[in-house]
Formats: sequence, structure tokens, C-alpha cells
Amino acid sequence: MSVNGPLVKRAIGDSIPLFIPAIPFALVIGLAIVDAGIDPFVGWSSSWLIFGGAAQLTLITLLGSGAALVAAITAALIVNARHLMYSAALAPVFQRQPPWARWLGPYVLLDQVFALVAIRLDDDPAAFRTYYLASGATFWVLWQLTTALGLFIGPVVPEEWGLGFAVSILFLGLIVVAVDGYPKAVAAVVGAGVTYLTAGLPSRAGLLVGALAGIIAGTAAERLRR
Amino acid sequence: MTAFLAMVVVGVGTYLSRSIFILALARRRIPDAILVALQFVAPAVLAALVVALLIDDDGGVAIGVPEIAAFLAGGLAAHRTRNHILTLLAGMGAFWLMRALI
Repeated sequence: MSVNGPLVKRAIGDSIPLFIPAIPFALVIGLAIVDAGIDPFVGWSSSWLIFGGAAQLTLITLLGSGAALVAAITAALIVNARHLMYSAALAPVFQRQPPWARWLGPYVLLDQVFALVAIRLDDDPAAFRTYYLASGATFWVLWQLTTALGLFIGPVVPEEWGLGFAVSILFLGLIVVAVDGYPKAVAAVVGAGVTYLTAGLPSRAGLLVGALAGIIAGTAAERLRR
Repeated sequence: MTAFLAMVVVGVGTYLSRSIFILALARRRIPDAILVALQFVAPAVLAALVVALLIDDDGGVAIGVPEIAAFLAGGLAAHRTRNHILTLLAGMGAFWLMRALI
């Protein structure tokens, strides 16, 4: 099997600029692992076990904040449910791929990888595979390195700086970027509001009630708009 | 050990959500109703998380002027620039400034 060198270079060149916005997430994950009192190697393992920043950050901060294990796992899985959309969108092109690529490809199916390959669905199968896997590998290597780097920065930063709060700001930034119309704004406001009202529930279970209420409210707002 | 197991469970679940249509259900489509609902997962869950992370051990929501200032500055920066690094700098900058002033 010959590898298409220029295409690999192109995939790497397209991936690096998209990785830069993810760097603060990688570093904050390192800080959050230290903050949560999770063993650094175990915490970092989430980078190759899960390989998804928002879900990793959700799981680590909730484990560290005394949420029930089931609530933390469920919340992280809900955060990652959006990948079902990518999987469905790419299923037709992956039918032309060999089995090994069908098994390996989904492991690196990040938001960024999806965004890069979504405009290359008509490439011939070998070229699609080369570009997809080269891009996925680039994100994978950079993610393992930068989250590990965050572990070393974590213990150095004084606790008084309150950097744990950076997680909340990053999540807020993700919400602002994701809201592209009023139904999504409704989902966010209801999600936050119901979580606030159910804050007294044990083990931060209110998080799940709030998330579910937000999803239902957003869907209802979308229906009404049509 | 518990944390590691939690990561394995989330890792397997994440792989399933990324692979299920590619590996098993290539001929199936996601029903439209679910497709619509999936769009609202990210904003709803993330907003719930922002609030959940402010809940203290007594079940109260611990939010003060520094936090509110940080959310306003970070939210504005995210809206204007769509840049996570600037969002973080603006948010934490406002947070530290208000903590120093109060």
C-alpha cells in the first residue's frame, strides 16, 4: 500500500490551525485533573480512552466535585451524544472503506475531524481514508501531548488563582458559539434554570434533570418556530 | 480505580456513539425527531454544567460578583471573537479583577 504523501501533509496542515482553539481545553483538563485529586496518569488516560475534550472535562470536574458516579458518567455520555449525528452522516462513505478503517475511523471522529472531512465526501475511497486518518492522527497526537502538558502546569499554578473556574468560562464560551438561533438559546436558558432550581437534589442529579429539560424545551421551541 | 473505570465506561460509550451508524446501521437513518433533539444536547447540557459546577456541598448555588463579571466578560468575548483563548483571558481577567476589588 502506498501512502499519498502530499495528501497526508495537507491533512496535517489543515488540522493544526483547527487544533489551536482546543489548546486551552487541553491545559484546563490537566488543571482539572490535579484539582479533582485524580491520579494524574488515570486522569490523562481519559485522553486516549475518551478522546473528546468536553466529555473528559465534564467527567473529571464532576468526579472531583463529589457528584454520584452514575450522574458523572451519564452527563459525560450525554455531552458526547452529538457524535451520533456525525456517525450517521459519514456512514455512507465508510461503506466503501475496508473493515479496519471502519473500526479505526470512529475512534478519532472529533468535531474538528468531522468538519474537515464533511467537504470531502466525494473523494475517492483511498484519498478519503488517507486524509481522514492523517487528520485524526494529528489531533490524537497533539491532544495526548497537550493534555499531558496541562498535568505539569496544574501543580505549579497557585490555588488562590482559582483556575478551576476556567472550566465554567470555557463551557460558557462553547454555549455562546453553539447558540445560532433562539431555540438553542431556550435550550441553554432552561437547562441552566432547571439545574438551578433542582440544585438541592443529592449528588448533583439536578444536572441531568436540567439537561433533559433544556433539550425538551429547545425541541419544543424549534417545533413552534416551524 | 473508580475514576479509571468511569473513563473506560465513557470511552466505550463515546466510541459506540461515533461508530454505531458506520459499523452497524449504515442503512438506517436517525429519525427526524431525534435529529432535531440532538441539536439541543450541547447547549442544554453545557448550560446545566455551568450551573452544576457552582453548586456547593449544601446544595446552594455559590455565585458572587466575580463569577457574574467573569461570565459577562467571557460571554461577550466569545460572542465577539469566537476565540476560546480570548474568552478565557477575558473571563479570568474579570474574575481576578473583581476579586481584587471586593
